[in-house]
Amino acid sequence: MRLHEYEALDIFEQNRIPVPRRELVSTMHDALHVAGEIGYPVIIKAQVLVGGRGLAGGIKTASNPDELKEAADELFTSEIKGMPVRKALVCEKVDIAKELYLGMTVDGYSGKPVIVVSTEGGVLIEETAKTSPEKIAAIHIDPSFGYYPYRARSLLRMLGLEQKLITSWSDIIGQLYHIAVRYEALIAEINPLVVLTNGVLMAVDAVLEVDDSALSRIRFPLPDRVDRIENPLERRGREIGVTYVDLDGDIGLISSGAGLGMASMDIIGQRMKPANFLETGGGITADLLYRCMELIMMKPDLRGIFINVYGGINPIHEGAKGVVRYMKEHNVKIPVVAKALGNRQEETWEIFRSAGVHVVTEAATEKAVDVLYKLVGPGNKSKAARAKGRG
Amino acid sequence: MSILMNDSTRVIVQGITGRIGSAQTHWMLDYGTRVVGGVTPGKGGTTVEGVPVFDSVLEAVKQTGANASVFFVPAAFVLDAFLETIDAGIKLIVIVPEHIPVKDVLRMRSYAMEKGVFALGPTTPGILVPGMGKMGIMPASLFAPGRVGIISRSGTLSYEFAGILSENNIGQSTVVGMGADPVVLRNLADILELFENDKDTDAVIVVGEVGGEQEEKAAGFIGRQMTKPVAAYIAGRYSPQGKKMGHAGAIVRGSAGTVTGKHDALRAAGVEVLETPVHVAKWAKKNKLK
Repeated sequence: MRLHEYEALDIFEQNRIPVPRRELVSTMHDALHVAGEIGYPVIIKAQVLVGGRGLAGGIKTASNPDELKEAADELFTSEIKGMPVRKALVCEKVDIAKELYLGMTVDGYSGKPVIVVSTEGGVLIEETAKTSPEKIAAIHIDPSFGYYPYRARSLLRMLGLEQKLITSWSDIIGQLYHIAVRYEALIAEINPLVVLTNGVLMAVDAVLEVDDSALSRIRFPLPDRVDRIENPLERRGREIGVTYVDLDGDIGLISSGAGLGMASMDIIGQRMKPANFLETGGGITADLLYRCMELIMMKPDLRGIFINVYGGINPIHEGAKGVVRYMKEHNVKIPVVAKALGNRQEETWEIFRSAGVHVVTEAATEKAVDVLYKLVGPGNKSKAARAKGRG
Repeated sequence: MSILMNDSTRVIVQGITGRIGSAQTHWMLDYGTRVVGGVTPGKGGTTVEGVPVFDSVLEAVKQTGANASVFFVPAAFVLDAFLETIDAGIKLIVIVPEHIPVKDVLRMRSYAMEKGVFALGPTTPGILVPGMGKMGIMPASLFAPGRVGIISRSGTLSYEFAGILSENNIGQSTVVGMGADPVVLRNLADILELFENDKDTDAVIVVGEVGGEQEEKAAGFIGRQMTKPVAAYIAGRYSPQGKKMGHAGAIVRGSAGTVTGKHDALRAAGVEVLETPVHVAKWAKKNKLK
């Protein structure tokens, strides 16, 4: 779960990392009031959970109330990368001498947390890595050895910095590492970490992504995970315990695994357009698949449904019962194609067929998608929409 | 004949008394796996599917001579049970459960490396050696004995690839799920190395997905050390950026972990990149695989 900037800044502040004066607002009127208290110039930042927010116009500077009015008005009526702006952070504009980068993540390949620093702040670290790798330094922390401050000092020495900056920066690294451990963060990042004209270091941005698998044991207050999902269908998916991602096509998809779901999307995407990604994980029951059908059918104008399930950990015959019950109760008229293989497959096929589901008994998903395509045709797939889906 | 599992593999099932543990014990036995015991603290002395249950891993090892373990333990207890299993001397561990905190996985991985234990997962379907046995949840009907190795990040896609090959009369030597989490207990390159050294494997299929850099790093190993043909498929071409596609590890962040980046790295290492799963049959036939 990725926290909003304002939530992460609060956590940073509680853990003694200097941050700007700021307040969260949700109307232009509030923004003006807050700016009056903080004093101009101010920066107003859209609180949306997308990357590249600044480049997409989500961060604006205002030197007086008129400029702020205009900026706030624009933010609150716009979308940043498709996300509506409901909240914004009004921050003091600090005097910056230099921008730095500090990030922590888990390196999946070495199996260790990694701390990355750079003297180039405010830009994407991947870009710096390409253009000026000499400005980046990184160290891995052995989980059984733990973090010690000397590691941060020697890391910063690799960048050839003066001792005064090394001392203050390594303190911040220690604080951020402490936060990352306590919040079980997969990503903790300050970009930019700025050196003010008076020499003080300050985090003017904050990224914190908490490990979803650890949420139940983190002892510090965290926002509710389900509440923050903007898309109502995706929220409903989380509520019933499946992963649902809303897409802009018209072929409904239910898969029993993430890899299979992604591959199904890829194969559907060659000739048609998926309306959603849905993967059940290992918890299929008749009720769950009934609710999955209910969920994917919430999208109007579906032209067909593709169910792609394997009976490994999942009792697919139970799942089939749920699908069939939904189809009978709601008199589903659009074509439904199911590929279901694995434990108790014959029983599963029987159940599906009883409701007129087109059953595919071969392993290749392409074959099943082909059957569906023959039933529903290409539809009105636009190239632009496909490109959008690809991000 | 196979990697990781062989004729002398004696398996215990941890969490055997749970709903999934007992059901999967049934299927593993049904496939001929030598399941010699189960462990659930507090349930020692009972049996599940005719298999004796023990209170501790050490006791199970002493009584049954077990040398491998498959986990169906609730995520919150996996770290503890894993350390117990290593301390009891087991050298092959398969972690089926998902949603294990990354912090726990880091600790597990570092302890396993230190003690020379080969562990797979979390979020893995396990290992299956066609015609011999399986540790995990793979549905046996899709597999057939042969000489092609499969390594997959995704469980369901490992079944898909094996199923397509089997339907085309091409069998598998061993099918290995490496796990779908952002951090797994063994890297892709380590498993590739086992296949490279296995005299009964002629070629390997890597089934990857978006996110992370396992495939990119493995490409380096393939380019330097693999002599056997390798084909790869990467799922997630149409996955929107920044969205977690079911697997915790399947997420594209910025420019990292994309399908294109993985394809480029793999192609540069001489890997045949499959645009879509069904192409695997053509590739196998072209390479005269069985």
